[in-house]
Amino acid sequence: MLPHSAAAHITSTGSGGFGSGFAHPLTGPDHFLAMFAVGLWGAQMGGRPVWTLPVTFPLIMVAGGAAGMFGLPLPSVEVGIALSILALGLAITSAWHPAEWIALCLIAVFAVCHGYAHGAELPFAADPADYIIGFVLATGLIHVFGIGVGLTLNKPLGGRLARGLGALIGLGGVYFLVTALSAA
Amino acid sequence: MSQHSPPPESAFGALAIKWSGPALTALGFLTAAAIALTPAAGRSTLMWWILSSALAPERMLPLVGLGVALALVDRRYSLGALALFGGGLAVGFFRKDWLLSVLEAIPRATSHHFLTGPISTVIVGVALVLPATRLRSWFLLIAATVAGSMQAIAIEVSDPSLHDVAIPLAGVVVGFWIVVAISLTVRSFWRTWFPIPARILGSWLIAIGLLYGGAALIPKQKSAFPPPPESAPNIIPFPGPDRLPPELQPQDRPGARVPPDGPQQP
Repeated sequence: MLPHSAAAHITSTGSGGFGSGFAHPLTGPDHFLAMFAVGLWGAQMGGRPVWTLPVTFPLIMVAGGAAGMFGLPLPSVEVGIALSILALGLAITSAWHPAEWIALCLIAVFAVCHGYAHGAELPFAADPADYIIGFVLATGLIHVFGIGVGLTLNKPLGGRLARGLGALIGLGGVYFLVTALSAA
Repeated sequence: MSQHSPPPESAFGALAIKWSGPALTALGFLTAAAIALTPAAGRSTLMWWILSSALAPERMLPLVGLGVALALVDRRYSLGALALFGGGLAVGFFRKDWLLSVLEAIPRATSHHFLTGPISTVIVGVALVLPATRLRSWFLLIAATVAGSMQAIAIEVSDPSLHDVAIPLAGVVVGFWIVVAISLTVRSFWRTWFPIPARILGSWLIAIGLLYGGAALIPKQKSAFPPPPESAPNIIPFPGPDRLPPELQPQDRPGARVPPDGPQQP
């Protein structure tokens, strides 16, 4: 007849402050792969996309985050996240260099899915301000990490290393897609 | 001595200017570390407030962004924006009631420091993201004024003493220290590619401000009930008198079954 004391705290969902927000994209492999791939793809394309992609992503992520916070329905978010990883992996593997606006539109769609997943958790966070600061900074740092890796791997072996990394990211996307579809 | 080599005084001056930013940064870090390492029992209200409020990520982030933005524009605009940041602080302190009456029109603003954090974060983020034209320079003047007034409001509403002058004074000093130290450091080690990470930082600030503002506008949807246990316990209904084992049957009940060996004696 005793209460379930260990889980009786309101913060038991795991959304706490800065540390929790910072750890969220770093410890979630699906988020990590997608953010890393955005930076890697931008670096592979070169020119303006090196910075326009990572600048656009968090700005559009806000729209998805708002939809999640207000509880607007967005079906199959997990499938969308998995598809984003798969598509980015394929784009890097094939060294696809589309027009900048096409790349930005694709990134925007992916950003909505990722933002929705984050936004749905925000109203539950014990300290939303620090949680947001943490996860946006971590997201940005993963972008920067992806850009750094991409710029480093672009030259050796004619960029095959970056393309190989893209193939691995795509395989990760397949795994997440199968997982999301089986859970749906 | 060559005609182009600078005199020793100006060389020293240039060196002092170059390292003034990192020196200010190091001095601030040392002060913050000294306060943080002070045993909790020995901390004054001012020390506690500096750690928990003046140096909170929510409060520092727009100031860091403003410092970076000041380094991106011409020195005249940079000094003008710094002066307007001070002007904004003065407006926030001396026209507090008017500003609060404006901000309280936003739903749930009163319970979130009047949304001073999100407002200053977004406006500084926009100043960073704007293209490097005169537009950014002029917008920075507005952003610095708004950030200053929001900083003053945040200091006022988080002041636990309500009357101690040291707290607003410390808030102003910490605010100026962050902006000036960051700005001088970025200027000292300027590289041509700095505007790119600055714009990325600006996009992060806008995202943080909008998401935090949005999260503040929405009430927490989680009610304070503990979640159900992962596995439901095996609930056995309490047996009625007819289903009790013989040894627990009440002896004085009519029709009670008596064990074959008679009632047990204590």
